[in-house]
Amino acid sequence: MAKKDKEEDEFRPTGTIAVLTVFVITLIAIWATIYVILVQRGGTL
Amino acid sequence: MNQYQVSPAEKKFIGSHLLVAILALAVGSLFGPLQAFEHAGWDFYQYLKPFIKSYYQGLTVHGVLNALVWTTFFIMGFLTFLVIFGLKRQLKNPTLNKVGFWMMVVGVVAAAIPILTNQATVLFTFYPPLKANWAFYVGLTLVVVGSWVEGWGLFMTYAAWRKENPNERTPFVAFASLITAALWQICTLGVAVEILTMLLPLSLGLIDGVDPQLARTYFWFTGHPLVYFWLLPAYISWYAFLPRQASNSKMFSDSLARLSFWIFLVLSTPLGFHHQYVDPGVPPVWKFIHSMLTFGVFFPSMMTAFTVIASLEMGARKNGGKGAFGWIGKLNWSDPSVAAQLLAGILFFFGGMGGLTNASYNVNLVLHNTAFIPGHFHLTVATAVTLSFMGISYWLVPYLTGRKLWQPKWATIQAWVWFVGMIIFSNSMHVLGLLGAPRRVPLGLAPYVPAEWNSRLFQVGLGGAILFVSGAIYLLVMLKTATNKERVESEVIVPVADSLQDVAQTPAWLDRWAPWLYGSIALIVIVYGPQLVDQIANIALTSPGFRVW
Amino acid sequence: MSTQKMHIDRYERNWMIVSAVLLVLFASAVSVAAFGLGIQVPAPEQRVNPNTVATDPNSPWSNPGLREVAPGKYDAYILAHAIPNWEYLPKEISVPVGSSVSFYVTSPDVQHGFKIQNTNANFMVIPGQVSKLTITFDEPGTYNYICTEYCGSGHGVMYGAIIVTP
Repeated sequence: MAKKDKEEDEFRPTGTIAVLTVFVITLIAIWATIYVILVQRGGTL
Repeated sequence: MNQYQVSPAEKKFIGSHLLVAILALAVGSLFGPLQAFEHAGWDFYQYLKPFIKSYYQGLTVHGVLNALVWTTFFIMGFLTFLVIFGLKRQLKNPTLNKVGFWMMVVGVVAAAIPILTNQATVLFTFYPPLKANWAFYVGLTLVVVGSWVEGWGLFMTYAAWRKENPNERTPFVAFASLITAALWQICTLGVAVEILTMLLPLSLGLIDGVDPQLARTYFWFTGHPLVYFWLLPAYISWYAFLPRQASNSKMFSDSLARLSFWIFLVLSTPLGFHHQYVDPGVPPVWKFIHSMLTFGVFFPSMMTAFTVIASLEMGARKNGGKGAFGWIGKLNWSDPSVAAQLLAGILFFFGGMGGLTNASYNVNLVLHNTAFIPGHFHLTVATAVTLSFMGISYWLVPYLTGRKLWQPKWATIQAWVWFVGMIIFSNSMHVLGLLGAPRRVPLGLAPYVPAEWNSRLFQVGLGGAILFVSGAIYLLVMLKTATNKERVESEVIVPVADSLQDVAQTPAWLDRWAPWLYGSIALIVIVYGPQLVDQIANIALTSPGFRVW
Repeated sequence: MSTQKMHIDRYERNWMIVSAVLLVLFASAVSVAAFGLGIQVPAPEQRVNPNTVATDPNSPWSNPGLREVAPGKYDAYILAHAIPNWEYLPKEISVPVGSSVSFYVTSPDVQHGFKIQNTNANFMVIPGQVSKLTITFDEPGTYNYICTEYCGSGHGVMYGAIIVTP
């Protein structure tokens, strides 16, 4: 059984958001770089 | 705190899985550095003849032992432990589990003999019409069926527990393990059909030809969910153990953890065409549908990332962690099990990014079968999964054997060396892929290598060397631990984290199997059914087997 | 009991929304490239008998190579094989810059790959199936096509070249 204490009740995962923000920015940068390579290489039909 | 005592006999049984797994890793990992050195232009294969005839034979050993044997045995052992410990209950039918285990062992031996005698140099994907010796396929079948049998033993144990506990929530570690085992049962049907209807009869001379496109469809029906079979046990550790180990913390959200596992069950299989985006025989509309579903399956991993990191952060802040990122330093980095899994998680971020990019339908045209692919999967199966399993073994092996972990400082160093080596290795492979370098090629000898690739090829060799050192340290630590005269002072505590919310508050619909199982099967039928029917109806068993090595 | 709601932390709910939006954005970008810009993956083109595809005189792959079908438009029939040697036939193709070439590739034996460097041509070559994509070569130069799927001992030396003349 979990007993929540005051600290746990007040906890806001701001550090988690910070880490995940870095993740999302990096993901977009990498994905976009490769997508641009794709588009620059042109059509296949 | 009084924990459930897993019996000595069951500990021994679980331990046997880890023993086979680590032995497989030891042999399989020998070839990794050889391949990496080859890419850098240093050929060590000449010293291995007559035992290993070619780069490709070595690559087959590496892939089969690392990606199929190390993983499957560690996972079945770990899941068996988690079900017993989580349900606080002995296996219902230990004989059944033992039969399954021994089938798997016999299977490994049966497949190993043709591999080591160069009669199955077909790599771990064994695409027909490459034709290996029949014993290779029999061996693989036994490993898969053996794992099914062990799974049935786990399900029977759960059914018994449910009868005894009709209203309780299934404890999370058991719950997640059972979903992983169920996922495995469902998805292995593909490769089972491929082997039983095509590869085994072909290798025995019972049929004259196979349909390679259909064989690929069967294989990748299994091949994608295979990576979740690998990944989910690591997720279980990250959700349920790591918060306590890393910061004496709790699981941030039991409900969302459970929900993520259900989503994995439903979404892991019906997207195998994302490994076949550039197959000629699959229509683009189905490839596109599978790509959308693949974006969908990324979602529970994003949920996992949040829940796991928030669980860690909560404990770190209680320990005085401050700032947006500073709290990370307050995690228990001196525990080798923690270090290994945190480092595995960090590299998994990049593995996930690469995976999403590979899976983005036509973006795959840039990346398919380039070195980007092994770059990617060394971050996922070889780090997120393997380094986490190494981290888990740092407490699990002492728990199972009663012997102290030998030199925890060395175990911690091992994790960091893996981390550094993998960054160098994997990063250079990703870049090489973007420059156009193919996978599965001894690039040290390829005639079309431009000068532009050379510095990265060197880095591949360097990364491989560093990983080799880390692998050697791991094996040393395991060997010395298993034979350690120093025993643990008291029973090793299984570091299972409590849930932040009262588990009884978790909605009951998260503990009901039927809707999720039916949903899973229904979705597979909808997005695989039409193509399977079409490909089978138009089957052309025209490709005879070839031995081209 | 079945109406129990799940408590989700506000930050986690926002993260889930951000994740979903991000995935939708990626899916949209992919769709634009595929359906708007004509960057598509291979589609089923033709079934062939791998045992006769290289020898039957009616099969274009029995005489692999370039065929001009209109000014600046070509069909390239390429055979990828491992037996008796690991190679593509033909080993070399030459076209003037600005040409559009439709590649039709198959194998009479095992699976191969076909990747034309620095282009979006990258696909599996599967016995019994014909793989087709069309590439327009806007820049002169030499474009190697290489094998990207294990096909036996000689996989690593299997390549050809497209010479695009100015």
